[in-house]
Amino acid sequence: MRSSAAAEFLRKAAEKAADVAHRQTIRRNISSYDLSVGRGKLRFSDWEEARRRCAEIKWEAINHLDKYLLEFEQKVQARGGHVFWASNAEEARQYIEDLVTSRGVKLVVKAKSMVTEEIHLASALERRGVEVLETDLGEFIVQLRKEPPYHIVTPAMHLSRADISRLFREKLEGVTSDEPEELVAAARRALRKAFFAADVGITGANFLVADAGMIALTTNEGNARLCTALPRIHVAVAGIEKVIPRLADLALLWPTLATAGTGQHLTTYNTLIGGPRQPGEQDGPEEFHVILLDNGRTELLADPEQRDVLHCIRCGACLNACPVYRTVGGHTYATTYPGPIGSVLTPHLRGLEGWQHLSYASSLCGNCTSVCPVRIDLHHHLLHNRRNAVEKTRHGWLENVSFRAWRWTMMSSARFGFAGRVGRFAVRFVNKLGLSGTIIDPMRTWTRHRSLPEVPRESFRQLWRKRHGQR
Amino acid sequence: MGSAETHNQSREAVLARIRAALKAQAVRPEPATHSPVFPPVGKDLLATFHAACAANLMELVVTRSWDETAGALRAALTSVPTGEVFVEDAPELRQSVDSLETPVRWSSKGIPQENAVATITGCEALVAATGTILVASERGGRGGSVVAPCHIVVARESQLVPDLEAAFAHLRAESIAERNSFVGFITGCSRTADIEKIIVIGAHGPRRVVVILQMDS
Repeated sequence: MRSSAAAEFLRKAAEKAADVAHRQTIRRNISSYDLSVGRGKLRFSDWEEARRRCAEIKWEAINHLDKYLLEFEQKVQARGGHVFWASNAEEARQYIEDLVTSRGVKLVVKAKSMVTEEIHLASALERRGVEVLETDLGEFIVQLRKEPPYHIVTPAMHLSRADISRLFREKLEGVTSDEPEELVAAARRALRKAFFAADVGITGANFLVADAGMIALTTNEGNARLCTALPRIHVAVAGIEKVIPRLADLALLWPTLATAGTGQHLTTYNTLIGGPRQPGEQDGPEEFHVILLDNGRTELLADPEQRDVLHCIRCGACLNACPVYRTVGGHTYATTYPGPIGSVLTPHLRGLEGWQHLSYASSLCGNCTSVCPVRIDLHHHLLHNRRNAVEKTRHGWLENVSFRAWRWTMMSSARFGFAGRVGRFAVRFVNKLGLSGTIIDPMRTWTRHRSLPEVPRESFRQLWRKRHGQR
Repeated sequence: MGSAETHNQSREAVLARIRAALKAQAVRPEPATHSPVFPPVGKDLLATFHAACAANLMELVVTRSWDETAGALRAALTSVPTGEVFVEDAPELRQSVDSLETPVRWSSKGIPQENAVATITGCEALVAATGTILVASERGGRGGSVVAPCHIVVARESQLVPDLEAAFAHLRAESIAERNSFVGFITGCSRTADIEKIIVIGAHGPRRVVVILQMDS
């Protein structure tokens, strides 16, 4: 498992890095994002203070998680909503599968939600014979292509409008050009009937507000609003880390999420939902179910060093900021959450053994940490995962002997000098014979894509002695 | 449902894991100074709201009487194709809408239909700094502000609040979240940028939002 996921990552990364069209599409998208976020931050008089305050809010919530979840649960139940606690993906899926089966559900409309990707909900429901339609435009596009989302905020970021037009011409009616307006209108027409015909609307939740007992949903298209207004059952799936203490916290969290996510000051629809249709209300679902999902999150919670990873509000800023993500693309990670946050999170959700290679999918430049609106120390957590992986891994005798030899060499000035002479000679020798990068070059992993610089004949110490004398 | 047993089991198990995990203390983040993070909102809330509406591509019409409001409603509906208009059944709206010649479905008589051409509702508050309309279930239900291609909001000057913080204070003071199972903050028109980050107005919700704001004096 370990070697295959890692090998697959390297294979796909090499392929994507050389894909010029892919690069152009991503560059166009992320340049436009960067421009918009730069402008968006100007709407704050103190962006850094906003980040500190958001980090404080999430710290408070995560470090009193039981208290706030119970408060949330009690308030939702008081309005007649159901709260189901799921230890893992299987339990969450089972609950929803039982629900749709017992209610005779034929059609489900879904708003964008990464946690439902994490538990592979749509495919599970489809196996039960239920039709599941993604209603966020980006998700709808990748669903038609039978692909996972490429990005946690912009699922179809990897596609050009020509790609989308080609797809829509094949699958939808009335598409004749690749004008975005026409493509959006075609998707709107295709989904409009579904909203009114669906029995169940499934959403995620951007926040679970404890003191109000409401879920907060953020969307631009209005699809989550239709999903929660028209069908007779609403199911919201959320990780337990989504809880926040107070409704008033949203006065800061909403603008910060919008700014980091897209550069907007506020997303078009910020919606609070606290239950099914209440007596006296004229519309809304008859049933409201919230699924609180653990699925590995409590293990992360148990690690105080990395607990702040649970502060994540899934804005996608670290993906856009990451030079590795921009080069290898979202699908290469083969994880629900790609990019820096995914590289940190996935080993916790799926096991360090199989996914530790992602800790190395980073240049440790720290750009992710600097853009994170809740100040998660992402690049240090990648280092922590590397350390943890090394500590937990049994090493081969060759590695042990090599490191012991390396240590022995480094402990003495004379041995270090001698090793340098041997090394310089060996590199010159390999280069001269034109063996660099070939199968017998011990440094092939590095040299097959790069050429080593010319190695000087003398070491630094020799040069120093020559210029400055003995001391 | 047959899952009641699993329900209880996992609930206790998750809570137990959380409590065990939290026994280890995490380092507090760098403390915030709690100085303002947004620039101060100008005294003239109407001017601020006007500018924000323009930035959000929302139309704003300021009126001085119920007659003018009814006229503004009529004007806003002239560019809407003929068809059913859904209206929140509120006394002020009855007053302005009764003079319209379009077929009207009052919220007391059912939910907005798939082919509604426009919806007319009131609101709980208007947020000046962000150009946000605060609605709740009691303002035409969950669908009233989202199902039609055009949403017209009729509001009073006294409903203007400076910023989001004030909007949440109003929400609390009026117990709006306690009274409604749905509360919505609407900022602009339905939009998407999922294709090459190009903004397209009118995804699944209204492509046109009109605020008719009646002055109190």
